[in-house]
Amino acid sequence: MSPFEFLWRLLPNLLFGFPAQRPGGLALSVFIAALAIGAGFVLALIVGAGRSSRWWIARQLAAIYVEVFRGLPLLLLLLLIHQVIGGKRFGLDFSPLTSALITLALYTSAYQAEIVRTGLAAVPQEVIDSARLMGAGRWQVFFFVRLRYALRVMLPAFTGQAISLFKDSSVVVVLGVGELTTVARSALGSDVRNAAYWVPVYMCVGLLYAGVALAISRLAARWERQARVADRLKNLANL
Amino acid sequence: MFAWLTPEIIALLMNGLGVTLALTLITSTAALLLGVGVGWLRLSASPLARSLAVVYIEIFRNVPALVGVIFWAYAFPNAFGPEARRALFFDNGFIQALSQFTGLTIPYYALAAAMALTLNTSAYIAELFRAGVGTLAREHWETARTLGASPLRAFRHVLLPHGLRAASPALVTRLVHNMKNTALASFVAVPELFKAVQTSITRSFHAVELLLLASITYWLLSFTFAWLLHRWLAGPSRASVR
Repeated sequence: MSPFEFLWRLLPNLLFGFPAQRPGGLALSVFIAALAIGAGFVLALIVGAGRSSRWWIARQLAAIYVEVFRGLPLLLLLLLIHQVIGGKRFGLDFSPLTSALITLALYTSAYQAEIVRTGLAAVPQEVIDSARLMGAGRWQVFFFVRLRYALRVMLPAFTGQAISLFKDSSVVVVLGVGELTTVARSALGSDVRNAAYWVPVYMCVGLLYAGVALAISRLAARWERQARVADRLKNLANL
Repeated sequence: MFAWLTPEIIALLMNGLGVTLALTLITSTAALLLGVGVGWLRLSASPLARSLAVVYIEIFRNVPALVGVIFWAYAFPNAFGPEARRALFFDNGFIQALSQFTGLTIPYYALAAAMALTLNTSAYIAELFRAGVGTLAREHWETARTLGASPLRAFRHVLLPHGLRAASPALVTRLVHNMKNTALASFVAVPELFKAVQTSITRSFHAVELLLLASITYWLLSFTFAWLLHRWLAGPSRASVR
């Protein structure tokens, strides 16, 4: 089989996993990353807001949370959660996919929390004060004024973090979850006869990751442009 | 309580720590140099140089570091025939000398991992440096050039300190990330700290203790490295324009 033919036959597996198994490949990579980013965002809102809390203890806890999850290699965090916390010891016995999702969500939440913190810090005090003067409660101010303002500021950094996490999801190959890198690895195996296929297969894997990453950044750039145009139109209408 | 910490395991872990530190130092330095170089190309007046820099940045930034590591270590040598492969990557004077000097059994894998991490991190640094230089420094650059400074001089005394200082928070984050990414070299059998921990686990079966010990070590490394980098990159002495 020529390398090209091998790659052609493998391509459906790289995209969607092996037929007899659960869906995998690139589709699973995107799914894992999307779910982890979503769950991570919710955690990041709590932790990021905690960084500027009125209570000293909340600020400290939030800071420790960020440092703990940002200071460890993802690979190590993955094993900590799969073997130590999610092991049989605590009666949890996580499946590899569950461990992968939890780890990626915790990992990205620490990075996202820092983005949320800087985004919230960018909201001008006058905006918050005037909302309070208009009679909005603390929670209303947070969700409808500060967060709304901050989200626009945070968007580019979020895109960067989302792309970064999508690529980092390749590390879950260590648990054998069945996503893109795992498919490539198991397709090549340790068979010496596959030696000629290694370069094309890994180039293809790299291109697939890079393609999705580039698509996300292009899409986000377009959203930002549209949001800017919409803002300008709204400003004109107010005049 | 620490009975599992036998001299054999301690030696293994210390050796791993040394490899991790060496990998971090080499890849950080190389990535900083390469990244600033590519970032400068990205700002160049020549369209060809600019597009080359963009292609470099987009390729190496968007391919996961792990895929890069596996590609250069395991896939790339397979592009050559068995004879050429052995002579080029695994059995020549340079590799033997390296093996003797470092004590690594297969030094090529460590070299490949270091190269993959350098390429990945340098692409990020190029983009950060370009953003750090921004528009303000470009005006300073024009001024320096108008006043008769050579391009190299203007780069060294205007663009470089300004760009590094403006980008320093993001640079620190990226270089710490690079330090953590050295754990990926364990995938290609480089005996760095993470690999040493894995080997120790299979020998002693004390997974919890060893993983916690590894966590504490990586935390300490992260903090120290971030602190040192911050002092070095954002420090006043470094960025002052003479």
